[in-house]
Amino acid sequence: MNSLKIYINPIWMFLLLFVFISNSYAEDKPNIQFEDFWIVSPPEVARSAAGYGIIRNTGNEADTLTHICTESASVMLHKTEIESGMAKMIHLKNIVIEPNSELVLKPMSFHLMFMDLSDDFFKENAEITLYLEFEKSGRFEIKLPVRSSWD
Amino acid sequence: MLKHLNTIICILSLSFFSCHLFAETELSMPILSGVGGDFTAVDGDGKTIEFSDYRGKVVVMAFGYTNCADICPFTLGYLKTLYSKLSLEEQQNTRIIFVTVDPEYDTPGHLKAFMAHFNDNFIGLSGTREQIDYIVSLYQAEYSNLSTTTVLTDYVRRVNPKEGVDKKEDTTSLYTHSVALYLIDKEGFTRSLEYTGTPKDEFVQKIRVLIDE
Repeated sequence: MNSLKIYINPIWMFLLLFVFISNSYAEDKPNIQFEDFWIVSPPEVARSAAGYGIIRNTGNEADTLTHICTESASVMLHKTEIESGMAKMIHLKNIVIEPNSELVLKPMSFHLMFMDLSDDFFKENAEITLYLEFEKSGRFEIKLPVRSSWD
Repeated sequence: MLKHLNTIICILSLSFFSCHLFAETELSMPILSGVGGDFTAVDGDGKTIEFSDYRGKVVVMAFGYTNCADICPFTLGYLKTLYSKLSLEEQQNTRIIFVTVDPEYDTPGHLKAFMAHFNDNFIGLSGTREQIDYIVSLYQAEYSNLSTTTVLTDYVRRVNPKEGVDKKEDTTSLYTHSVALYLIDKEGFTRSLEYTGTPKDEFVQKIRVLIDE
């Protein structure tokens, strides 16, 4: 009988309703996360470098990556495609991260292409700040360590 | 008993022979007719070379350019690991050569510094556009210019000084290009086309076969 009183208590009813609404609301949002982002330490004379990592959307709604920038270089999202033994680089704009999926940036596939590197920023063990703007989730700031390549 | 022993010896001999034959077949590398040949280029010291200068060495050759951020550094990183798997003597009998498809930007000195990031022994070859086009056609490779943009160099790494050129501006080009790794024997014949997907131990084995020929 006591437990029944708890269920019909207006405060409990309100709390249950609040939790229900919150959950429903959360399910309709993208949830963007970043994992293992890094930049391959470029040769000292290089003017470009590549960055890799994973962009994960654990939410239940798609989101679109609309803009990437850094103060240390110009940067774009590229994809390397091999066709008939030829490597082709494709510049990608407004890439959609579907709900419960991920975009894996790795060598010879999707990658961040940093060009016109500023002096001194891309040395080994440095950290580059990258800003990523999503249509729904807004702006993120992540730090990418510059690591020795392929060792 | 003697009969059984003979049978066992026969079976063992057959299996050894077939295994040996199988290994030989697996590493069979006939000359790829029409792929490769002698050419002239400019090495990292600005010296004109003939490809025949490397005769007597096994050569692994790739095409690319230094403004390539993804596949070219990845390929050179792969070759760096591959090269490190060779013994010192094997390294002395092997040459890793990277031919640029962007000779206007990849001057000999710039290429040399770029290659040194991966290994001091790696050779970068540049030259005139005509020389590069000839090498590309010899090896049945391909490349094409995707785009060329002008960049202000005030805050960009001043990595490629060119005499008589305004340092305030420079150009950056993007190319598509062939990704094959040409395995060339000591006589200058192309024997195999490999890729960065080739397991390194398998590639090393092929280099060893050509060194031992």
